[in-house]
Amino acid sequence: WNAERRRRRRRRRRPRRRLVSSFCYCLLFSSELWSVNRAWRGLAKGTLSYVTPLYQFRHTQLKSYSRQLSAFIAAEKQEGLAVEVGGLQNTFKVSFSVLRFRQEDPPKTVWCGWLSCINGNPEYLQSLPKDFTCLPLFCSKGAEDLSSLVKSWLQRTFDCCFGPLDINQTTLQWLAALWTNCHMETNIQNLKMIWTLPVLPPLQVTYTVDSDDVLDLWRSTRESSAEKSREAEDEVCIDFSEVTRFMQGLMSHFYRHFRVDLSAGELNQVSSALGSAKVNGKIKISSSRYLISIFSLLTECALLKMPI
Amino acid sequence: MDNSAKHLLQRLVRRIPVSMLKSTLDKWERLTAEKRKSLDFTQSKWIITQELVALCEKSELTVKHITELEMIYLTAFCLFVCFLFPDDAHSVELMQFKELFKSHLRELQRNVSVKIKKHTDQAVWIRVAWGDGLSSPNHLKATYVVLYLQTPYVFVNALSSKHKPLLLQALTLSTRHQQIKAANLSGQKLTALRDLLMRQYQQVSQPPLMRHRMARETFGDGMLPALQSAVFKLETKFKGPTNEAMTQRDEPFICSVKFSSSNLLESLRHCASSGIASTPVTPMLSSIPLKGRNYFVITDNVLTA
Repeated sequence: WNAERRRRRRRRRRPRRRLVSSFCYCLLFSSELWSVNRAWRGLAKGTLSYVTPLYQFRHTQLKSYSRQLSAFIAAEKQEGLAVEVGGLQNTFKVSFSVLRFRQEDPPKTVWCGWLSCINGNPEYLQSLPKDFTCLPLFCSKGAEDLSSLVKSWLQRTFDCCFGPLDINQTTLQWLAALWTNCHMETNIQNLKMIWTLPVLPPLQVTYTVDSDDVLDLWRSTRESSAEKSREAEDEVCIDFSEVTRFMQGLMSHFYRHFRVDLSAGELNQVSSALGSAKVNGKIKISSSRYLISIFSLLTECALLKMPI
Repeated sequence: MDNSAKHLLQRLVRRIPVSMLKSTLDKWERLTAEKRKSLDFTQSKWIITQELVALCEKSELTVKHITELEMIYLTAFCLFVCFLFPDDAHSVELMQFKELFKSHLRELQRNVSVKIKKHTDQAVWIRVAWGDGLSSPNHLKATYVVLYLQTPYVFVNALSSKHKPLLLQALTLSTRHQQIKAANLSGQKLTALRDLLMRQYQQVSQPPLMRHRMARETFGDGMLPALQSAVFKLETKFKGPTNEAMTQRDEPFICSVKFSSSNLLESLRHCASSGIASTPVTPMLSSIPLKGRNYFVITDNVLTA
């Protein structure tokens, strides 16, 4: 019978699935599903980690994963390993879903997280062995012990590992430029950047620029072109050399006053009314503008940090 | 032009393929355009060499100029500059550097061929041919590094991303610095990059001893009062050397800067002594201890409020 089943399966085997470079799966501890419009809002805050590729992760098995994770947490609770599990009551539900289909608003959520891969590098994705799914970006928000349990279960089930995602300097600079660019449509209030200089004791420099002025600076550093001033809905065409010139402009204005070279230090944090990002992986995104671009940058960060 | 210069030039021209000779001479700029035009590159190499030597003699070029030509040829591809940090680290002796660099690099990668040479103008040239555990060094794709031991600048070309971390680590360790960072400066003319940086370096940076002294004079000696922050509200016009649109703007560039630390004055003193803050220290920062204030509003009329 098994041999027969195998034969049948071989014949039925579909051609290799078209490469999907963007996927976002959410784990929620709640009993309802989220609406698309509001879903990202609650999820776009938390601590980022990178995840190595997941072995035999099947998006068709989400219900089963929900049950398994639920059982795992209940078992851990019972063994007294996590007595007060992040405020979970005795009855709780785990829900594993794809971000896309949602209907209703959620009730109180005690923990949520997501796994994602947005515009992942196709060469890398293609180089992975067949059974591996790459969702390198993991974000968790909620009690730390619940985060550990979920990661532990994911590691066990899919043979993957987690590591802290340091958001690199390049990404922080991109975010500064992207958020400044947004000021043309949404008031970002100001652009705040925090540097640390390597002296003893360490010196922190918080450089906050008025939103209209920083936008003027940004626009002056962009190559002038009529087409560029009209951007598509979600996509923005920015060259990294423009970002570099923008940052250099900011740093040289600073240097002219203080004669301190900010590039000798490290940019640790960038924030505006649209969100904030820190080098230690903590992010908060308060606007859906450029969400795809931001997640693409973060996905790239995660792929770069991957040890394999 | 003395014999050593002539000899050097002849040897050098022999190495440069004719196809690259014209462009290399153009970049060199030590011979006027007319003189360069007078060279006939369709002739045999030997004749070209003779003519070139004659032209250089007429222009009274020296060994220093010839080494520039060598640098241009050898680093004809894109160069990028790195900056060793902190720049007040004790500079090493050449012999010591040579030993350290070779040993560090060999520890990191087997089968590398390293040649180090010092030029007359204090430049140290390093040529690294990379191999690996299985193959012998590839001399056709060597990496060239130029550094000036008294400065924190390193010029690198032809470096693959695979070898980059190894080379940078070996450089950092052998020059006794703590880290090396890309300086956001690259180009094709080594001499131009070098002159740009040296001029800036001389203008801006003072010898370490002087910096230490000025730092102590500005902020004080020994234990400093543990002030924790200082805030500057800037309402001045935008100041940036390369941005015309912004510098022509009439309105001020409104921003605020907050410095914070567990001991701000010590941090600032260390900034000055390590070169992160240029000395003499700007009145903006020296006003903190001098005027005993830590909140300032700076406008164009009153640059030190």
